[in-house]
Amino acid sequence: MLVEFFQQIFNGLVTGSIYTLIALGLTIIFGILGIAHFAHGSVAMSGGYLAYFLMKLLGLPLLPAAVLAMAAGAALGALLERVAYRPVRDAPPINAFIVALGLTLIIEKLNLLLFGFNQIIIPNDFSGIVQIGQLAMPTLRLFVLASSVVLVVMLTWIIQKTWMGMAIRAVAQNRSAAVLMGINVNKVSMFVFALSSALGVAAGILIGALFAIAPGVSEGLVIKGFAVLILGGLGSIPGAIVGGIVLGLSEAFSSSLISSGYKDVISFLLMIAVLIIRPEGLMRKTGKS
Amino acid sequence: MKFALVAAATLMTAMMATHTEAAEKTLKIGYSDALTGAGAVYGIPQKQAVELAIGQINAAGGVKVGKDDYKLELVVYDDKGDSTEASNVARKLIDRDGVKYLMGYCCSATGGAVASFIGREDVIMLVGTAGARAITAAGNPNVFRTRPPGDYTGAAAGRFIYQQGYKRLGVLTTRDVALFTQYRDAMLDAYKKAGGTVVAVETFGGQDRDMSAQLTKIRSLKPDALFISGYVEQAAFAHRQARELGINVPRFGFSGGSAEQFLRVISSKQMDGAWDLLAVEFNADILGPKAKAYDALYRKTYKAPPTPNSAYAYDQVWVLKHALEKAGTVDDLETVEKALHQLPIPQEALLKYIPIDGKMFDAKGQAYISNGAFKWVDGKWVYQQELPSDAAAYSKYLQSVKN
Repeated sequence: MLVEFFQQIFNGLVTGSIYTLIALGLTIIFGILGIAHFAHGSVAMSGGYLAYFLMKLLGLPLLPAAVLAMAAGAALGALLERVAYRPVRDAPPINAFIVALGLTLIIEKLNLLLFGFNQIIIPNDFSGIVQIGQLAMPTLRLFVLASSVVLVVMLTWIIQKTWMGMAIRAVAQNRSAAVLMGINVNKVSMFVFALSSALGVAAGILIGALFAIAPGVSEGLVIKGFAVLILGGLGSIPGAIVGGIVLGLSEAFSSSLISSGYKDVISFLLMIAVLIIRPEGLMRKTGKS
Repeated sequence: MKFALVAAATLMTAMMATHTEAAEKTLKIGYSDALTGAGAVYGIPQKQAVELAIGQINAAGGVKVGKDDYKLELVVYDDKGDSTEASNVARKLIDRDGVKYLMGYCCSATGGAVASFIGREDVIMLVGTAGARAITAAGNPNVFRTRPPGDYTGAAAGRFIYQQGYKRLGVLTTRDVALFTQYRDAMLDAYKKAGGTVVAVETFGGQDRDMSAQLTKIRSLKPDALFISGYVEQAAFAHRQARELGINVPRFGFSGGSAEQFLRVISSKQMDGAWDLLAVEFNADILGPKAKAYDALYRKTYKAPPTPNSAYAYDQVWVLKHALEKAGTVDDLETVEKALHQLPIPQEALLKYIPIDGKMFDAKGQAYISNGAFKWVDGKWVYQQELPSDAAAYSKYLQSVKN
């Protein structure tokens, strides 16, 4: 029983870390620009595909391929902001919503055309299992967990310790005041999209290594990402971290204690409960961004 | 001179008449399938198989209907594996494109949705891979399917697992695809009737690839054997994660995935000893020279191996060709329907169909193939034995149900 408990904690943490990575990308865009970037999952998948083909065609190891794919993802994110979202920034929110839906369809189709319909697994060298009694921890899962922690720390450092991070926080708190203080909002929003997309690509690569990249996978991820956003608090980085882990653990334990058939139902009931009891989310302070 | 003119005119008239009598026409066939989204992995190979068959038929002169030769032409739409989209596509094909023959449908959701209203339409629907029982159980006279329903195979699988000596079974299956849920329910029923105990029935959803939570629970209940079923993209992960969690009991399953599809996810060593209990779908090693030729042509054309499900739709094209030739009409659908119901198994069919009263399809338009047990040995599925299953008895049962 105790073994099962710790095994489910481990399962939940790994799943939750992936939800966190997806949600972080969504939350910095939503928190700063107020855009529900539905195409985030498709961008993440594109990056995963790109890393796979860099490894396959150029023979690159996982890490350099991942760095290149993240750079390409950042460029794609910046391009999307400039070409698709900026023109509708001052329009009614429905315009950005429609742009986001359109981008999702376009990127999904492009992924299918460029990379095919078969699921793709990103090759890696993690095939071992760390066994503590009956507690089984595949090294690949440990790698995903560790990578997620590193990425979260890096993001936090960028947001908290760099000049651009300070500008991002300023725009999030009060865009007009930030403009008056000389912050170039266009640059900030382009940087935010680049950062978010690079993070999404990293998530795509980890998902591709641990599970698979395939048509249709991104939809479910984005839904879970938004669930985490609501759970943790819209636009809150600590909220995305806590929300992701809470969602991962709740899925693991609802499978274990009740039934896997109700896994998603229970997770979303939890989300509704949080919305009722604490509408601002688990980690977001009322009245502040 | 006058005679020469008359002779020339007569000759031209005769030539024109001959030309009219043996005109080469085109018969449009509506094709609806999952060409994007999660179902594309089944829909695209199925479409490619249909295109191969049409290419072969057209190259050999087309379909001879009465005095006319018809070249077949596909009108293709992507239904994304979505039931609403498939219903819209069907309407578009019937109302706008004016087709009288519908093909495709790799997914139970889409095939089931269209079959639910197609009985009222003036078309003939030829279903490939979609396995939900209701597609043919509904009893529409204009629906014909080559794949047997999931529960036809599931019952045979349940008896087989028990006969192997495993008394406590843990089950992990997909929860939202009728083919798999109907198979599972029939398997569980037969297994329990034989005397087995089911320790847990866990499920996963459409795009899940992490089943470690469900498998952790099953592991704690200490089953003698594990049963995993679902589309290969997910089933392969369930097999891998079971091994990673140290579940070393024998694994049975139902997915129909090829060795190539499994090996993208899981190592051959991790798959060793696993069973796949399914209708004997396309397999070049056991289906003879026709299958080998198809396998070679498919690989040459599409630079990839054919998937096991692709043959269902390939065979449907030949079914249609022979039925049209027998009926002698493409417009009188009642006559074509009768021809389909009376059709013997076409000689070009790749799969080994079990005739019902000497015919390809039973009274509800359902075809049957045998069920088999495949075991993973040295990197591939190896046919072990037939699973005893009574197609005639199942057909009788199918006549008695509506969904």
